[in-house]
Amino acid sequence: MLTRDFVGGVASIAIGAVYLFFAYQLRTSALDDSMGPGGLPRVYGWLLIGLGAILTIQAIVSRRMAVAGATTDEKGEWDGQGRKLLFAAGLLAIGVGYIFLVETLGYLISVAVLLLVTALYLGAGNKGRVLSVAVLGAIFLWVMFVIVLGVRMPSGLLASLSL
Amino acid sequence: MHKLYFVSAAAAAVLAGGLAVAQAQEYPVDTVTLVTHSSPGGGSDVFLRELSRYLSPYLGANVIVENISGGSGAKAMAQLAQAPADGSIFYATTPTFIYTSLLSEPEYKYTDLEPLVNFFIDPEVIYTSAKSEFKTLEDVIQYARDGRGQWGAANPASLERQALEQLKAASGVNAAVVTHEGGGDMMINVLNGTLQIGVGEVQEIQSQIEAGELRLLATFSDQRLDAFPDLPTVKESGYDVVVRKFRGLAGPKGLPDDVVAAWEAATQKVLADPKYKEAYEGANLRAEFMPHVDYVTFIETFGTETADFLKKTGVIE
Amino acid sequence: METLTHTAAFLFDWHVILAALIGVTWGIMGGALPGISPSITMALLLPFTYTLDPTSAIVLLASTYIGAEYGGSVPAILIRTPGTNAAAATVIDGYEMNRQGKAGLALGISLYSGVIGSLFGLAMLMTLSGPLAKVALAFTPMAYFALGILGLSVIATLSGENLVKGLIAAILGLIIATIGSDPVTGGTRFTFGSAELLGGIEPVMIMVGLFAMSELLVQASKREQDERVTSRPRIQFPDWPLAKRLIPAQIIGNGIGTFEGVMPGAGGTIASFMSYNEARRWSRHPEEFGKGSPEGIAAPETANNTVAETALVPLLSFGIPGSNSTAILLGGFLIHGIVPGPMLFQKSGEVVYGLYAGLFTAAIGQLLIGMAMLPVCIWLVNRPRPYLNAFIFALILSGIYSIHNEAFDLGIMIAAGMLGFFMRMLRFPFLPTVLGLVLGYLVESNFRRSLVLSGDDWMIFVDDRISLGLLILAFLFIGGSIAKRIYDLVRHRPTSTFSESAES
Repeated sequence: MLTRDFVGGVASIAIGAVYLFFAYQLRTSALDDSMGPGGLPRVYGWLLIGLGAILTIQAIVSRRMAVAGATTDEKGEWDGQGRKLLFAAGLLAIGVGYIFLVETLGYLISVAVLLLVTALYLGAGNKGRVLSVAVLGAIFLWVMFVIVLGVRMPSGLLASLSL
Repeated sequence: MHKLYFVSAAAAAVLAGGLAVAQAQEYPVDTVTLVTHSSPGGGSDVFLRELSRYLSPYLGANVIVENISGGSGAKAMAQLAQAPADGSIFYATTPTFIYTSLLSEPEYKYTDLEPLVNFFIDPEVIYTSAKSEFKTLEDVIQYARDGRGQWGAANPASLERQALEQLKAASGVNAAVVTHEGGGDMMINVLNGTLQIGVGEVQEIQSQIEAGELRLLATFSDQRLDAFPDLPTVKESGYDVVVRKFRGLAGPKGLPDDVVAAWEAATQKVLADPKYKEAYEGANLRAEFMPHVDYVTFIETFGTETADFLKKTGVIE
Repeated sequence: METLTHTAAFLFDWHVILAALIGVTWGIMGGALPGISPSITMALLLPFTYTLDPTSAIVLLASTYIGAEYGGSVPAILIRTPGTNAAAATVIDGYEMNRQGKAGLALGISLYSGVIGSLFGLAMLMTLSGPLAKVALAFTPMAYFALGILGLSVIATLSGENLVKGLIAAILGLIIATIGSDPVTGGTRFTFGSAELLGGIEPVMIMVGLFAMSELLVQASKREQDERVTSRPRIQFPDWPLAKRLIPAQIIGNGIGTFEGVMPGAGGTIASFMSYNEARRWSRHPEEFGKGSPEGIAAPETANNTVAETALVPLLSFGIPGSNSTAILLGGFLIHGIVPGPMLFQKSGEVVYGLYAGLFTAAIGQLLIGMAMLPVCIWLVNRPRPYLNAFIFALILSGIYSIHNEAFDLGIMIAAGMLGFFMRMLRFPFLPTVLGLVLGYLVESNFRRSLVLSGDDWMIFVDDRISLGLLILAFLFIGGSIAKRIYDLVRHRPTSTFSESAES
């Protein structure tokens, strides 16, 4: 069975390998020092692969030892993780949706929608309250960022109303 | 307390300016936005804000400043290139916009903009610690010839770096050019003797020069500076390197002639304004007005030369 | 003494008082909004300073800086989101105390530690500017490299029970720090042609992602309403025995903060992490760290407020801004035709004395305004979870957007949130990632700069005495903590190393 450390180790090796691939493609130029732009990234990449390998081996060894001692602890290690991932992915999708909406819908509307959808997604029950929180919250954030701090948030649809 | 005076005098000038707007000739739009990629308080930002205080009456329009940071100017260039060419929006140009265009290949480059006019050339000078043994540029070059020089440039892939690499080539010495994260970092390394020389704008080191902690060795400008008439140029010292760190404006492509004409007239007038003159000369900026036609050629040449340098050294393809 | 009498004269100048109070209030507000960094908060005020007299303008900006450095701790404690980079270390124990229903106390500790930090830093600034400036001047690239290594040595103790995982996490941070422009050639690295990545990734985006976004994801993944201890909406200052216990942590924060503040480029984040680590090392209750230790708040918060004051040393003495925030302050000086540097005291002494007086007023103002604002903030985070989390989500998406007005940055933050979520699932600590991220550039640029200086002679790090000293110190730290791990392993003792709360 895959332990967390095993997965972590393999993931590190994978990230390190991808990073190294790009690190070796960095351009060299006459303005370079002896290390060059790729010097340290290569060191980091190899270190990551090395440490990932150590972690993987650690995981395998400790699992062997655990099997000898016949513990059943890890059985439950991944129970319910799939469902958890799914729920987290839902929130992530809301965030990504916001990124795409904000430039077209404008800040005020998008942030109200974001508040509404997120609160509902996270299990807010009272529909009337959700709606009022979304509207008031959006107005509060808009006043804070756009009016008080003068941040140039996307105005989108409301551009014609100069909001 | 005379500083207070200065501010109230400036405020009075703005008020007087407000009155003058009514009489000035009609500029095509009411409000002109000057965009900079530098964050508030940065070099270009201070330049624009100072300029906007004096420019309005001469131009006949309100002048406001906007900071569009991000991507070292890439974002500002993109915005400008897509803006209407009606004279309502301009971008403060410094060599940075050319370096960014060349180094990061953004969607919109400096070639997608039309240079308008130039205002200033910031003199770049070579300086050393007052405690060091170097009295002239030749001493420094000789030191590098005998052993190994260590010279400082404020930023990687910057005009200063390019100037020092050219100086190295012209003098045939092998010095290490150490890049930093800004002029301040480098100044500390010059003051503590880690570097023999640094290159920077007079403005940045003014206070140290007055306090006698730094000594100027040469200027990269084409002529001697009014503020330091005894300071030789690098060219006079026998190395043919001239650096022109320009400060001007550029707009979207296809600027109408009346807009260009209005700016050419207003720029010359504002540069001659005694109060503004006092302010910019105090900040060691050298007025160097370039009309539209010259500025377009200037930027083109500058861009080609920089691209050649970056290609020759292998930084870009 | 002369400084004191000159400064005292300004303490009753209502211009100065008003500027200080407005500045500190504005600063706390900006600092408390995640993504709005101290420098952005200050920059937003810059246009207004044109119309002010120079002293008020400088006081306004400097007080904003003080307030913002403090304000960052409020969301760190309340919603696990560091409002500023330097508040990242405060998240660990601050949020833990909040979860135990002690938010009022946690905020009280951070507030009064911040005030102590400000006052101590101000005293250093007023009395020891000269000697401190000499220290800053003695720091060569080699010394900065060694300072960065010393900072990285903290990873050895922040790694939790598995050092290998801690190191992997740290390298992830170092890798993120390599994205952007190369520090020596200026060429691009790992930007894949994107102009947004040219200037590198702002640490705060990654921090907000790792801490806050991952927390939101974890809470979304659990779904069920979890039992939650709510805090009374009252700010609470520690009683005497606790206050006494915090004194060593605050002294550590003061010391490290003074030192790091003076170094241009070192900054508050490193100071707070190092103070956190040292406070833990010297604490009588090291086992409480990571589980809601009051010292774990006092040390970093004292340190980052001390930094905000002593960071003015290189600015005033050399005209060198050591951080974005002090760069804006430099802009404020230049706007009024004042050039900071060696001639500042002779040419514009009155501005400096006004600044001192303003900073003192700001420190006191910070206490009063904090006490008035914080109960409201606690009340806000006591709202039902779904609403609170939705609001936090909206807040961080707004805050991160304001950094560059780029939707692209939101993507980076969310990606960092995913990274944090998986790291927590696989039980990787992410404090080392934050540390690697913050120190990566400092270490790499100064390392390579030193080798350029020496012509690739590595002995330069040994020849430079400051560098040698700091490197020895770093190796002692690393060696010590590894020795302790081995000792614990051999004796079969559960390692007393700490890790931030792991989440399944």
